[in-house]
Amino acid sequence: MTATPSLIGSAIGYATETEGLDVAVYPVGRSLGKAREPVRVAEEYAMIDCISGGRLMAGFPVGLMFDAAINNGVPPIEVRRRYEENMRLVLRAWSDPEPFAWNGRFTQLPSVNIWPRPLQKALPVWITGVGNPATMRLALENNFGFNYFGWFGSELTASRVFARFREVADAAGIPANPNRLAFMASVCVGETDEEAERVYGPHLEYFFNKGPGATSLGKLAIPGGISLPGIRFLLEDQAGDFGFAHEMRHAGIGRILEVGAAVVGSPATVAERLAGIARGYGVGNLVVMLKMGSMPRDLVADNVERFAASVLPRLRAETMGDDAPHRWWPERLGGSPEPAGAALRGAA
Amino acid sequence: MAGAAIEERAVEVWGGRLTMRVRIAGSGPPLVYLHPAAGLHFDPFLEALGADWTVIAPEHPGTSAGDPEAIHAVDDLWDLVLVYQEAIAALGLERPAVAVGQSFGGMMAAELAAHDPALFERLVLLAPIGLWREDRPIANWIMTPPEELPALLFKDPGCAAAQAMFTPPEDPGEAVAATAGLVWALGCTGKFVWPIPEKGLSRRLHRVRAPTLIVWGADDALIPSAYAAEFGTRIAGSRVEILPDCGHIPQLERAAETLALVRGFLAG
Repeated sequence: MTATPSLIGSAIGYATETEGLDVAVYPVGRSLGKAREPVRVAEEYAMIDCISGGRLMAGFPVGLMFDAAINNGVPPIEVRRRYEENMRLVLRAWSDPEPFAWNGRFTQLPSVNIWPRPLQKALPVWITGVGNPATMRLALENNFGFNYFGWFGSELTASRVFARFREVADAAGIPANPNRLAFMASVCVGETDEEAERVYGPHLEYFFNKGPGATSLGKLAIPGGISLPGIRFLLEDQAGDFGFAHEMRHAGIGRILEVGAAVVGSPATVAERLAGIARGYGVGNLVVMLKMGSMPRDLVADNVERFAASVLPRLRAETMGDDAPHRWWPERLGGSPEPAGAALRGAA
Repeated sequence: MAGAAIEERAVEVWGGRLTMRVRIAGSGPPLVYLHPAAGLHFDPFLEALGADWTVIAPEHPGTSAGDPEAIHAVDDLWDLVLVYQEAIAALGLERPAVAVGQSFGGMMAAELAAHDPALFERLVLLAPIGLWREDRPIANWIMTPPEELPALLFKDPGCAAAQAMFTPPEDPGEAVAATAGLVWALGCTGKFVWPIPEKGLSRRLHRVRAPTLIVWGADDALIPSAYAAEFGTRIAGSRVEILPDCGHIPQLERAAETLALVRGFLAG
């Protein structure tokens, strides 16, 4: 999660490759709902895939409404359509062996011919959503992984969002394989629960108060960005999908932990909590964010170290996805990814 | 005329890809009314005009009940102008109509009159959007929090017209429907003016030939009344009227004065 995902992704791809770390590189995302240069996005991700030796998981969120509409001037009602067209163009640019002309509504190009091409034959594509069933359907029908996150307070929102995903999957007749689901959490590991809360508490408060909490719900829901049935759902549901978003601006650490907006504690506590999330929600992938808000460098390094040394081994002992090959994970890391975007290409 | 029947007609346009709903009330020669960003509401102003005119009010694509996705049949402002032109033609008016447009609808009326100078016999623009001055930016009404809307739209947010506009229906289901409809209407109209409501109208206004009346509230907090002169100088022979103690909706906040001005002008 960063303002310049391709830049950071390329740095991580290079650093992990030179250090010999066999980990996936997952920029949560280049928002395609706002992108005015989709071919450049396709090339940037292809380059990261090359730099990392084929370890990219390509994250493409629709995008936060204020970012698309205010920072990039896209009419809110066009954000999702722009996303769909851009996604079609990116997937075709990666896979079509011949140059092609593109006559889209938002992009017209006489010849699309990207350089470099991605290293992976089938790049795993992931979309991050907040609970909109249309986004879930899009992920299922196009073989994208679906990532959900805990910032709104997983205790308040995660069970309903993942249950909805299963309903949408059932309706579409597509198995809700745990491997196609990810949960992304802010994670803070200390020596003990008390120490973790004391050391990380101020930084988590800084993050929630000044980061996501500083964005008003009005800027996440600009008129036109949500369909009419979606607006009615949010009004009647009293915005339950947004969890404690309306409290974030002034939330203290007690409330942040109570609603499950971050996973904080000793290695045992954190491992137990994350494993519980994976089991409870049927999620096969965990995305952990170990740096947030005002955390100084040394504390970030401690957090990464503790997570790798004391939490990860406990999690690896758990069986998370099912036994089937992981179809949303890079081949070099043991996955068997399959091409994404069938429904979008069919709609073109 | 209060409580008189409002006829509803559906006209097929855009090569059969769009059905536009048009509400018609009153009697007399035709008057096309183009509604503001929040959607069509048959307010007392329209009811009063119905005494002398047949008020013909098309609903912007996507804002008609039960057909929200219709907005996606129209890609851009050029499409939209042609859609409205087709809808007016499809109504088979026996003589050119006069047109009244408010705010977003004022911009649409001006765009139509510039695109097809013979379409309207006379034109009334009530605080239209469509121009932009860096020194007098227009407020972003689409992003304005609901609780701030009364002060944005009215000089006196406590006036009866403001109260009538912002008092939600008592029935919770109706209140949800009204709020959702308003939000969606802002999105459907916003499609053509986001992020800056200036899409080149200043280069087209010289084409308007219809005699034009421009009415503005002196205290308009959404579009400063300085824009009245901007429209006035670009439309040859137009007349500008600024109403004191009045916000963005003169036909509601200064109903009697606005009605008298419009009636007098349209009677020619």
